[in-house]
Amino acid sequence: MAATGVGSRARDIFTALEYGPVPESHACALAWLDTHNRLLGHYVGGEWLKPEHRNAVSCRDPITGENLANCLQAQGEDVAAAVEAARTAFKAWSQLPGATRARYLTQLAKVILMHQRLLWTLESLVTGRAVREVRDGDVPLAQQLLQYHAVQAHAQEKALAGWEPRGVIGLILSPPFSFLDMMWRVCPALAMGCTVVALVPPASPTPLLLAQLAGELSPVPGILNVMCGPALLGPALASEPGVQKVAFCGAVEGGLRLLIQESVWDETVQRIQARMGRLRSGRGLDGAVDMGARGATAQDLAQHYVHEAQSQGGQVFQAGDVPSDSPFFSPTLVFGLPPAAPCAQAEVPWPVVMASPFRTAKEALALANGMPRGGSASVWSERLGQALELGYGLRVGTVWINAHGLRDPVVPTGGCKESGSSWHGGQDGLYEYLQPSGTPARLPFLCESLNYDTFGLVVPSTVPSGPETGPSPAPPYGLFIGGRFQPPGGRSSRPIQDSSGNLHYVAEGGVKDIRGAVEAAHQAAPGWGMQSPRARASLLWALAAALQRRDTALASRLERHGSEPKAAKAEVEVSVRRLQMWGTQLQDQGHTLQVAGLRGPVLRLREPLGVLAVVCPDEWPLLAFVSLLAPALAHGNAVVLVPSGTCPLLALEICQDVATLFPAGLVNVVTGDQDHLTRCLALHQDIQALWYFGSAQGSQFVEWASAGNLKPVWVNRGFPRAWDEEAEGAGSELSLHAARTKALWLPMGD
Amino acid sequence: KGITTAAVCVYPARVCDAVKALKAAGCSIPVAAVATGFPAGQTHLKTRLEEIRLAVEDGATEIDVVINRTLVLTGQWEALYDEIRQFRKACGEAHLKTILATGELGPLTNVYKASLIAMMAGSDFIKTSTGKETVNATFPVAIVMLRAIRDFFWKTGNKVGFKPAGGIRTAKDSLAWLSLIKEELGDEWLTPELFRIGASSLLSDIERQIYHHVTGRYAAYHDLPMS
Repeated sequence: MAATGVGSRARDIFTALEYGPVPESHACALAWLDTHNRLLGHYVGGEWLKPEHRNAVSCRDPITGENLANCLQAQGEDVAAAVEAARTAFKAWSQLPGATRARYLTQLAKVILMHQRLLWTLESLVTGRAVREVRDGDVPLAQQLLQYHAVQAHAQEKALAGWEPRGVIGLILSPPFSFLDMMWRVCPALAMGCTVVALVPPASPTPLLLAQLAGELSPVPGILNVMCGPALLGPALASEPGVQKVAFCGAVEGGLRLLIQESVWDETVQRIQARMGRLRSGRGLDGAVDMGARGATAQDLAQHYVHEAQSQGGQVFQAGDVPSDSPFFSPTLVFGLPPAAPCAQAEVPWPVVMASPFRTAKEALALANGMPRGGSASVWSERLGQALELGYGLRVGTVWINAHGLRDPVVPTGGCKESGSSWHGGQDGLYEYLQPSGTPARLPFLCESLNYDTFGLVVPSTVPSGPETGPSPAPPYGLFIGGRFQPPGGRSSRPIQDSSGNLHYVAEGGVKDIRGAVEAAHQAAPGWGMQSPRARASLLWALAAALQRRDTALASRLERHGSEPKAAKAEVEVSVRRLQMWGTQLQDQGHTLQVAGLRGPVLRLREPLGVLAVVCPDEWPLLAFVSLLAPALAHGNAVVLVPSGTCPLLALEICQDVATLFPAGLVNVVTGDQDHLTRCLALHQDIQALWYFGSAQGSQFVEWASAGNLKPVWVNRGFPRAWDEEAEGAGSELSLHAARTKALWLPMGD
Repeated sequence: KGITTAAVCVYPARVCDAVKALKAAGCSIPVAAVATGFPAGQTHLKTRLEEIRLAVEDGATEIDVVINRTLVLTGQWEALYDEIRQFRKACGEAHLKTILATGELGPLTNVYKASLIAMMAGSDFIKTSTGKETVNATFPVAIVMLRAIRDFFWKTGNKVGFKPAGGIRTAKDSLAWLSLIKEELGDEWLTPELFRIGASSLLSDIERQIYHHVTGRYAAYHDLPMS
């Protein structure tokens, strides 16, 4: 064989040792788009729909700007049609045995395996992300998700007896997102028997591909319906009567915030800069690049942030082998920003890293917890004890120790504060799509005409209705805040009449009192949260014993408010037992999850929420109050309660015992107009969760108002609850709502 | 000029023959010798030093020594430093490669410390393993050693080379190693002066890849000379 000029080329290669380009051909993606004539419709009810007179948005390659395909945009009637298809599908899909759904999910995993090249090519082409990320990260994880949830579906009848699928789930995704974000939500929904209508951003072919693959395989048409549409269609989807739950995935920040201890600042920054210098940007489909580009919008965001940071006093370092033309943006390190600068608090866009120094772990914790977001964090330290202190102290949903970004279907992912309170993955993710069996179907608007501005704003004035009557001693007058009875800020009272016509006056609580109560609760919360389960148990037992000593007085008050003597006595007994039960139940301190491919445990911790506000129902004035107070305390929370409107005196009686037994501020009781106090609580941004058991309108207001700080809410939508039954009054549902989860990853290695 | 290996590595007793054979073939590739009780290093210090001197006398211009793993496992870092200094002196002008035998050193923190000590004591190269241990060159160990090399360079300005040995059989493997060096240390380290791969059957596979690049066909093993 003559080896002519080729020999010199081999020698050049051996001398230069450059990376050769490894372009992934996107021919298969284009071929798939061609099968639709480059015009993608909606995938609804198991088939492709291309309704007439719809706008089409162009899906462009983020790097070259080339038009890849046009996507039809949905309108209101398309959404309604999709929800209808999903509802029909739900009837059949939810009735299938879990094993059948499990088989479907496993087959879908296999289909993804067979068509993975098309999937990763299309995703990388359309989003501009490096193909390595999609091929080696997203696609295998998607398969794992399907397989994990297949197992959960299989075990559903036994493991989740007493829970049923919610119904049709509306899924709203905003750009930028990856198809994996959709899979995290679709897999548990389908596994548990729900059906899905997904509204994806205007130019997203990949979810449509997934819908097609899923739909072709499905025994029931319409379990997964996907449409592209503008963001303002979201409310239309949310208010469709058939939709039982809406899952919203907001924009995911791509940048990172780094907190570096001062003693290692110089070395760390040097290493980061050296590493940044080696990053290669290029077309996402080139297998040899580290970073792609995410389009003009992402570039503008990054540009804007960097300029702002500079104007606020930050220094900027950029490096890497990046093509100079748009829309590529160099990996950027921003540092030197004072902590009060707006950029130091704002979300950091991709591909920027914002670094700040700190001196002690305590300072780091304060800096990290001082952000409004609470998603995930990683802690890097060679000292396990110190790393764990930070891991437990960080108010986020996921902590990795000496690792970052690890994900697995068995580990729940979620957050707190402004990152929202919903979960995907793990057991927690399943409960998002389940409700206790027999829960009535949910309507989007219980009251079309509810005026959010005026609900509960004004308290009707009350005038004196006569002197207090009835057997003494009555509980002390006042609101129970900070461990003692105090007069209300508004200095007025309201009359309470029992069925015998006896009259009592209780304090009229207002917004200042709520504020005081929440502050008192925040004083008590950290100490209580750190108590061991045994310490909490003993206090709950002590309260149970105190109630026992008062049992005749409590029973007679219940009788005076209309209970039969036997029923009153039973209510007191059950209340005492419930307190004892919650004390004895070993609070779920979390358990260890085994993750495939990781050596080392992942802990699923259950942590107190912080301050929990409860609006008690009017009925069962003693039992409901105790049934709500006990699990809240047992899980380590401090509580602010609004007792039954018709009979608040029982709660005040109990406060006398609370005053002697519990730390001040742990339990606070505010009496008054239920709607007004509900308004104050729902609008308060420093309450970590709100439980509301009042009217349908109140429930609607609570859900609307709590969006202010995204606190988790639990409302009864106006339906009464059978507090005397174990399932509803003392079941696992209460435990689920009374604490929040944190995943703590502890990979091994020395 | 053609593409060649960087050196030919032989046992101390074969150095003379190797030098003679290469001279007869008109080849200027250096001869490297393993020394200090290769592969286990469990002989007296006196004989180990003598081995080095004899190999250098016979014409070896590169010496691969094995560190005393007892000293690492018992944390006698100063003693380890002193020993390697003695090897350095015995080598004289010859190029010194220090084999850490990482598979036997225990945790990665020990690998890092041993690497730094070897470099401080004057090694020109640090080498992962003899190729005879149960666990030879793996990527985790390599990353630790490469980072040690980088840290040493940042602190002193001296560049020390890296050589993985054992278990690298195909050209594809060697590409992974080349990428690792390129990513961790940069293009400056991608020369024979600073990066070597210790392997025997690897040579045939590389030749076959070059054959394919040049002719477009895959060669059979018998199409190429035995290595």
